Amino acid sequence: MKLDRRTVLRGMLGGAACALGLPLLDAMRSDCGTALADGLPLPKRFGVFFWANGLPWHGAHGHPDKPDLWTPATTGAGYNPSQLLEPLRGIHDRVSVITGLEPHTEVPPIPDGQGDGHMRGAAVALSSDRCRSEGFHHPSHVFAFNRPTLDQVIATTPSFVAPAGAGSQPRFKSIELGVSRALFHPYGHWMAISHAGPDKLNQPITSAADLWRHLFGVPTDTALLERRAGLLDAVSDDAKRLSSKLGVKDRERLDAHFSHLSELQKRLRATTAACKVPAAPAGRSEDLKTELELQTRLLAVALQCDLTRVFSMMFTSPASNHVFSNLGVGAGMHQVCHDGNYNAVKAITTYHMQSLRIFLDVLASTQDIDGMSLLDTSVVLATSEYGEGYKHHPKEHPVLLCGRARGALKTGQHVRIPGGNLSRVHLTILRALGIDAKSYGFNGGATTEVLPGLV
Amino acid sequence: MLRRVLAVLLVVAPLACVHGSIEELDGVAGAPDPSSTGKVEEQFAPAPPVVPRLTAQQHHNALVDLLRGPVPVAQLEADTAPYLFTSIGAATTTVSERGVSQSEDAALSAARAVFADPKRRDALVGCEPDDACARSFITGFARRAFRRPVDAEEAERWVAIGKKVAPGNAWLAIEMSVAGILQAPSFLYRLELGKPDPSRPGWNRLDAYELASRISFLLWSSVPDEELLNAATTGELEKDDVLSKEIDRMLDDPRARPALMAFHKQWLDLKDLDALQRDPAKHPDARPGFGASMRGEIERLLDDVTLEDRDFRDLFDRRTTWVDANLAALYRLDATPAAGMWERVVLPSDGPRAGLLTTAGFLAVNAHPEVTSPTRRGKFVRERLLCEYVPPPPDDVATDLDKESKAGTPKTQREKLEVHRTNPTCAGCHKFVDPIGLGFEDFDSMGVHRTMEQDKPVDARGELDGIHFTGGKALGKLLRDDTRTTACVARQLFRFATGRLENQTEEPAMIALGKSFSASGYKFRALIHALVRSDAFRYALEVKP
Repeated sequence: MKLDRRTVLRGMLGGAACALGLPLLDAMRSDCGTALADGLPLPKRFGVFFWANGLPWHGAHGHPDKPDLWTPATTGAGYNPSQLLEPLRGIHDRVSVITGLEPHTEVPPIPDGQGDGHMRGAAVALSSDRCRSEGFHHPSHVFAFNRPTLDQVIATTPSFVAPAGAGSQPRFKSIELGVSRALFHPYGHWMAISHAGPDKLNQPITSAADLWRHLFGVPTDTALLERRAGLLDAVSDDAKRLSSKLGVKDRERLDAHFSHLSELQKRLRATTAACKVPAAPAGRSEDLKTELELQTRLLAVALQCDLTRVFSMMFTSPASNHVFSNLGVGAGMHQVCHDGNYNAVKAITTYHMQSLRIFLDVLASTQDIDGMSLLDTSVVLATSEYGEGYKHHPKEHPVLLCGRARGALKTGQHVRIPGGNLSRVHLTILRALGIDAKSYGFNGGATTEVLPGLV
Repeated sequence: MLRRVLAVLLVVAPLACVHGSIEELDGVAGAPDPSSTGKVEEQFAPAPPVVPRLTAQQHHNALVDLLRGPVPVAQLEADTAPYLFTSIGAATTTVSERGVSQSEDAALSAARAVFADPKRRDALVGCEPDDACARSFITGFARRAFRRPVDAEEAERWVAIGKKVAPGNAWLAIEMSVAGILQAPSFLYRLELGKPDPSRPGWNRLDAYELASRISFLLWSSVPDEELLNAATTGELEKDDVLSKEIDRMLDDPRARPALMAFHKQWLDLKDLDALQRDPAKHPDARPGFGASMRGEIERLLDDVTLEDRDFRDLFDRRTTWVDANLAALYRLDATPAAGMWERVVLPSDGPRAGLLTTAGFLAVNAHPEVTSPTRRGKFVRERLLCEYVPPPPDDVATDLDKESKAGTPKTQREKLEVHRTNPTCAGCHKFVDPIGLGFEDFDSMGVHRTMEQDKPVDARGELDGIHFTGGKALGKLLRDDTRTTACVARQLFRFATGRLENQTEEPAMIALGKSFSASGYKFRALIHALVRSDAFRYALEVKP
């Protein structure tokens, strides 16, 4: 990247008073928190942390014998972490807890099954839309997302990833990660929480070693890279020729292939950003928390160098049948929920929150390009697929909004809106990221209201 | 009424219930698959074509066949398997950006593996790398990779791009042309769109190349070889006798076995067996590798009825099977195969087992870790073996069952499931699946035969559509004699082969396929011949770009 002398100078002067960032990117910065040297705003980041099968059930789900161990006792600022939120204590001033929300999207009566918590909840929590109903012709619910998930909406918003005047955009539109490999079924919607549209899955990278290769494993042989890039001219040409023979739906698939080829070509020709390349991890750890931390550390480096601005972490997949034998649970999680094994679900929820803590701690301890912590420059939406998994109850959908979006998002709050529209979370996130959206939500889920007191 | 299609096992269990009775559901439960209006069209009409990508297995096999030797196993975007089959996922999903990058990587590494080895390279290319050599080699290579004729202009484009990116290095130029072809959509996607059939306006008939491609991906999970392509070039493949000979030749090739096993694996969920978990403290038969042993037995049973000249229905009631040490112990047999070895055994005629439905694999994969699931076992029979529809559970239904009676004594699984029968909300659907599954109660959740449960004698009485039976072995015999079973096999194979569900207008072809299977004496080879000849396999609706 080429910087003129004035830019460099301004950056150096501005940078002097701040915590140390990366040398080259430091040079681009005008001051400690408002803008890059060329006048562009400093980047914000968006991420999702997803865990499977909701929370333990309680009175709001029709089980008056079970206490609500999730919802903090007081609302507003300065909440005290509840029993299940205990793992976040110490960082909870950077986390807002949103309780009481549920999907407001319509549930078409035909074909039946569309109200199922897993699918409806996951679709709304991630895309603010209901799922495609045609999938429900299949009795085992081959539903699919109806539109891009929020991370992909944000990753393709030009003003967010590459504001006018920006010389370049991040190397990766988004990074998808996953830890547990257990799946309910090998159907698209159980395999990914990031979707570019219907039947367009972004499957997660599930090993730190693969992630390292993806982010940093760029060959140093630039002649080879140029050969590969040049070759794509012919490959793209072939894609175009085929596409012209196809019907509408398949033409769209080929056209997507074509545009991915163009992205790949650009990436092969672009030099890598000034990253201090971390050591390559040896492989995948079967301990979920260890693997999570390995992946998150690499992700943090990628964010720090602005290799990407959007990320998602599918810690456990929707409806996961992961067997938490480490917690003394003998059966798959989905099964454990249906069996009504309350204590097991409680233990797994605590484990999920401890894992979220690991994820947030890494972001909190890594500096963004201007020295501010990644957690303070980001918004991380931590959520699951429904309120609870015993009866797939949609009420009390768990939502945590973590990170400050460079001050645009108020944290440390407990916002409680019983029966509130889950799509309000997405609208709030979009506003916090500076993306202009009057309303968000689809097919009955639309809202113009943000969550009160957060943006 | 709703259009319904075959179900995949829903791993909520016990399966919850639906509101209303079968009558109220307008005959949905148990309707033939795909149950639509229930009315079968009398005249066949083709369906719109689909364009599958190569699955991971097809992609790898094709690279090996095209490059005549081993290539590194590439990381590709994982297949999805909606409606059971990866081919259907490959025809519906759109590849991700990372997926495209992974195919690029795979193409380059595969080409490198060959061209880094002068011996392999020379054997593949077969000439000194001058212009003429490059042109003739690339023309042939692209033809095979793309499964269609490649004209001089198209071949020249691939030669030219190699020279352009690797100027002055003739070998590298060819390597790059190869790497380009191996990541081209013409290689990665299967365009089997057909050509207009003048006698039937609006219908497209697969041309000989497309036919060769579709057969080859079905029987070899790979691209056609030279012989098959040549039969397409000459048009000979369109002749019935030549087509038959080619199919037989391909079935006799070692590649057919794993390709057809891929079908069985997806149809019957065999891949789930490897991940099966049981607590050895509660199940002494859960010895290391037991899941793989269970899969091994079922694969051997399937191999035997697929490629040998055997009645496919033997799968359901034959006493001959294969056991390793794990299974010999689990089945309480005297056989003592050495570690890692398999032994062919004939199960005792007065024993509890014969056929697929009494294998430990089927019984265990359709059970909970500690208790059986008559619902799952019944659902598997309904959906996978009979191709019948089982409605989904209603939203927010409680699926836990009382584990104890009022007196505090532990209930048997049959007693626990009583609520499915007595609660009208549940009964509508469960009376459709549970009675089948209850017939398997003579086997525990590990597939071990039992005579007692919770200190009570086992009650393994079951019922299939009004026919009463006792024990899993007896059900096997019933299914053998039920034409729904064999018609269902044909339907599943069609879906696997074409990468889509059958269209309602193709129903006459599905029925004909079941009949051909029956007329052949249920020979799987004959079913494949019939499938390839079927209009549903050969025709697609014309595409209007």
